[in-house]
Amino acid sequence: MAARENGFYPVMLLTLIVFISIVSLTLTNAVTKDKIELAKKDEIAEMLIALFPKMEGFTYDEKSDLYIPLAEQQPLGYAFMAEKSGYGGTISILVGLEPDTTLRGIRIISQQETPGLGARIAKSFFLQQFPGLAVDDVELTRKGGKVDAITGATISSSAVVEGVRKAILDKLNRLRRET
Amino acid sequence: MHSFTKNFLKGIIRSNPTFILLLGLCPSLAVSTSLDNAVGMAAAFTFVLLASNIIISLIRNYVPIRVRIPVFIVIIATLVTIVDLILQGFIPALSKSLGMYIPLIVVNCIILGRAEAFASKNNTPNSIADALGMGVGFAWAIVLISLIRQLLGTGALDLFGHHLFTVPGLADNPVTIFLLPMGAFFAIGVLLALFRWMGVSTGE
Repeated sequence: MAARENGFYPVMLLTLIVFISIVSLTLTNAVTKDKIELAKKDEIAEMLIALFPKMEGFTYDEKSDLYIPLAEQQPLGYAFMAEKSGYGGTISILVGLEPDTTLRGIRIISQQETPGLGARIAKSFFLQQFPGLAVDDVELTRKGGKVDAITGATISSSAVVEGVRKAILDKLNRLRRET
Repeated sequence: MHSFTKNFLKGIIRSNPTFILLLGLCPSLAVSTSLDNAVGMAAAFTFVLLASNIIISLIRNYVPIRVRIPVFIVIIATLVTIVDLILQGFIPALSKSLGMYIPLIVVNCIILGRAEAFASKNNTPNSIADALGMGVGFAWAIVLISLIRQLLGTGALDLFGHHLFTVPGLADNPVTIFLLPMGAFFAIGVLLALFRWMGVSTGE
């Protein structure tokens, strides 16, 4: 490295490199931004279909933060995101409600729990416990609810349960206040 | 031996980044919980290392020694962010399972280490050979660790949704400790001891 060591040269070079970096990141962002949003939207649509198999499309209400799956222009229920800190990071859960507000089911959108232990919250043997539950039953069995925790993953299981129950209560409270 | 081949081969065993240089252990330990993650991490890592070695070897004669570290870090961080955005947009499933470990490639000391120790002192073809060799070396190391951890920790092997095989008996009663952080240390500790025992000594 025989470059000049003093004066303005190092500063200029660093500025130039940062500038090139900004330009290339701006370009990458411009190319991938729509793709990333589309991928996220696709993912939500896929999860919604898993909860509402008859769904033909969905609308998103920004004010109440609700996804409303539709079939023949009729709403099939409601869905919304719940978040809660688990063992390894934030767990994002899509919660589906029937029109009568019993639980339609839940799907894990993203999680960073331990693979083979906490990550099993995304497996069907755990998720299939949720459909049909009333809000008050969304609690671990040992605390009087109707959801069995996963062996070796109590923190992850309880995070899902807490997150889901709190999100449903929040939504119901808000709906009640508004109507 | 031709220097390109020599620089390529040295990263695979003699200067293996994980087992011999003991660099970049954070991803080797953290992401090796499943085979999918290990393969994805190795691919992302090799791409970033290759690109950073090329760029840094090209500009090596223009970078003053005093600002070299900031220059290297800006270049590596830019490349990693590009990879992160592309993965999010085009392979969202992989991006989701690797999560924060992609941004953490920025501080992976193999990449900065190769920039400092090799690419800033050697020409571009040799730097490409070095990056590819180190990439392969890192890849087989992390894949081997994840293979051991997944096999013992779940009793079965899966790769990108395809079920490869199940170990009878182990699958019902897996050694889940291997999926936990301490299991990573067990696996890498035993492997390191094995390499020492086999007489693979430090190359640089």
